Parts: sequence; C-alpha cells; structure tokens
Amino acid sequence: MVALVISLALFFDFTNGFHDTANAMATPIATGAIKPKTAVALAAALNLVGAFLSTEVAKTVSGGIIREGSEGIQITPDIVFAGLMGAILWNMVTWLKGLPSSSSHALFGGLIGAAIAGIGIHSVNFESLMQKVVLPALFAPLIAGGVAYLCTRLAYALTSRHDPETGDKLTQKRGGFRTGQIFTSSLVALAHGTNDAQKTMGIITLVLIAAGTQQAGSGPQWWVITACALAIALGTYAGGWRIIRTMGAGLTDVKPAQGFAAETSTASAILASSHLGFALSTTQVASGSVIGSGLGRRGTSVRWGTAGRIAVGWLFTLPAAGIVGALTALLVKTGVIGVVVAAIAGTAAVWYMFIHSRKSHVGHHNAVEVEEAGHAVQFRKKKPAGKPSKSTKDVQR
Amino acid sequence: MKWLEVVTVAGATLVAAVTVVVLYSLGVRLTAIAGDVRESNPAWVRPLAYACFGLCGAAVLFGLYLIIPYFSK
Repeated sequence: MVALVISLALFFDFTNGFHDTANAMATPIATGAIKPKTAVALAAALNLVGAFLSTEVAKTVSGGIIREGSEGIQITPDIVFAGLMGAILWNMVTWLKGLPSSSSHALFGGLIGAAIAGIGIHSVNFESLMQKVVLPALFAPLIAGGVAYLCTRLAYALTSRHDPETGDKLTQKRGGFRTGQIFTSSLVALAHGTNDAQKTMGIITLVLIAAGTQQAGSGPQWWVITACALAIALGTYAGGWRIIRTMGAGLTDVKPAQGFAAETSTASAILASSHLGFALSTTQVASGSVIGSGLGRRGTSVRWGTAGRIAVGWLFTLPAAGIVGALTALLVKTGVIGVVVAAIAGTAAVWYMFIHSRKSHVGHHNAVEVEEAGHAVQFRKKKPAGKPSKSTKDVQR
Repeated sequence: MKWLEVVTVAGATLVAAVTVVVLYSLGVRLTAIAGDVRESNPAWVRPLAYACFGLCGAAVLFGLYLIIPYFSK
C-alpha cells in the first residue's frame, strides 16, 4: 500500500510539473526571449534545483493540515491514497476540459475530503487549513497582482524616453527586458520547485509517518526529496512540448517589460511564501501577476469576464477534488477489494482522459491557466505607423 | 496570528520585486542612453548601466541566499 501511494504521489508530482511549465516559461517563449526547447529544459533543471532548496512547504503539508500521531487520530496510507486519487483525477479532468485550476488545491481538497469521509470531520485541522491554505490562496494572487501592477508602472516610467525639447517619444529601446526575462523566468521555475515539489514531498512524508516508518513531526527524507525533484523536473520537461504548439498565440501581446515585471513579482511572491511555509498555488500567483501587469501598462484593458471564470475555477477546485477524494475513501474503507477497484477505476480514468486528450483539439491542454490569464488582459491595437514602436524591434541587433 | 505573516509576505514581495525591477529598468534606460548615436554622452553612462545590472543580479542572489536554509545555519 505504501509503495502504491508513493508511486501515485510521484505521478501527481509529474502532472503538477507539466501543468505548470506554462507559469514560468509561457511569457519568455511568447516574447521570443528563449527558444522553446531551451526554455523547457531550463525550467526542468531549475525545478530540480528548487526542489532541493527549501522544505518548509513540505513540513506544512505533512505536519499541519491533518492532525496526525500524538493527538490520537491516525491517518492511514489508505486515506492518503484516496486523497491523491481525488487530486489526480481532478487535475486530469480540468486539464482535459481546459478549466483553469490549481494542482495544489486539488491536492489539499482531495486529502481533506478523504480524511472527512474516512476518519471524520474532527480529523481536519481547520484552523491550520485556514491559515496555511485558504488565506494564502486569497492573498497571494492579490499581493502578486498589486506588486506586478506597481512594477510594470515603474518599469515603464523609468524607461520611457521623450525628447527633452519637443516632447516627442524617442525610440524606447526596451529590448533589454527580453534578456532579463530569461533570468526572471528562471527564477519563477526555481520558485515553482521550492513550492510545488514540496507538496508531494509532504504527502510522501505523511504516508511514511502514517505507516510508522518515520517519526511524526520530522521533515522529508533525502530520497523522498530526490524522487520528487526528479518527478517534477521530468513532468516539466514533458509538459513543455505541448505548450510550444499553442502557447505562441495566447500571450504574444505581453511585452518584455511587462513580462519582466510580472515574473519578478511571481518569483518574489512564491519564494517569500515558500520561505514561510505557505503552500500557495503557483498558478494563481502567476495569473495574478499577469493581470496586474496588464493593468499597469497603458493601453490595455482586463477582460473581467475571463478573470471571473478563472476565479470560479479556483473556488471549485477544493470541494470538487474533496468529493472525489471522499468517494475514494469510502470505497477504500470497504477493504482490499475496494482499494483494487479504486486503483483500477482511477488508472482507467486517467488513461481514458489521456487518450481522449490525444484526439481533442490542442487548445485543451495544460497551458490553459496562464493562457487564460493572458486572454483576460486584452490589448488595444497599437496605432499603425508614424509613432516609433514601443516594442523591442529596434534593439537586440 | 497569521496576519503578520501575510504582511511579511506582501512586504518581502514588494521590496524584492521593486528593487529588481527598478535596478533593471535603470540599467535598460542607461544602456539605451549610452546607445544613442547622435548625442554625446558622458563616459560614465555605460559603466553605470552595467553597475545597475550587476546590482540587480546581486540583489537576486542575496534574496536566494536569505532563503536557502543551507546558508543560514
């Protein structure tokens, strides 16, 4: 059972990786700062490094949300199994449907649902849940968005060049930001590793604690860290290839200066939260930043309808994954047959969705979240000719 | 109370992002000035631009240094 859960957790880590490559690498690919192949490889490598950097979030996941050990409530590998099932299935469904969602919230939702159905409502530490999951989920995108707005304003104010006598616009020469994007997007990938890989580490640690092979309250073991880092890096690398096909269109309107500001804000927000052990959703932070930077640049309007749709998707993730997790937990409770049924049903569902995704339109794939955020920010068409281009054609010769 | 931590995250994010963006933007601006053909610029513009980029990189590395537990032991 433990081995089964660990492999399931690593698979979740893998889906998480390919779900989220877009967060870091969508903008630089769109602005042409990095070639897609390089970008994906870079993101994978940095995710790997990031996973080793900090284990604060893993401790939050393994120690905070579900009461374990000393307080008398034993969380069993069965529960974690059910929770992971909920998370993976919800991840796959949203991925297939193109609904924007957060893999982190799917994970928490699945676990909470499974714990409630399998043990009882008293097993969930709601206080810790509020403080470490719900509050960051509300605030992180707002913080990132606000900071991105400010940074975009600053970046444009500092680099806008006017002729001192006539007041005409000079060539803006903002191409330097494109080079900068290589570094900021790398930082986002790194930050993603420090936050998202940790969640799986936390889960595996939770299982090991539950199975009695590890002491309660201790951090993840080194082989767990290594396995999770590798799984998320592999996922990132695999996911990138799908993004290349569709990503071009969604975010092309994001200018390098904006992308730079948005990515800096995303990376700062995620790294700061990781450091404090907040398990927030990288997807939500990245979307918040993109919208914020869209608001910060003149001549853009945000499509609040799309933004609202993203928000609704966020609201649904936790309960929906929770319900799947709860159902699986009830099934698992019936005994070995239940576990087998759940495992087979889960695998079949994942395979079905995977095969189905192969058939369906490319637009329905994992890059959706950030792409949607990109769509939410609509740009007015630039006035043709006459004025010197604000863009970056003139540099990088 | 977790509000303090929320404020900490907000503050840290703001300070870090603004520092990086301002320094980098200044660097871009100064590079642009240094690249102007027709005007004669003081000789310090380009070095200053590089200094800005350098400081920006240093700020990022310092931020990572603060976060990685290995160094703070």
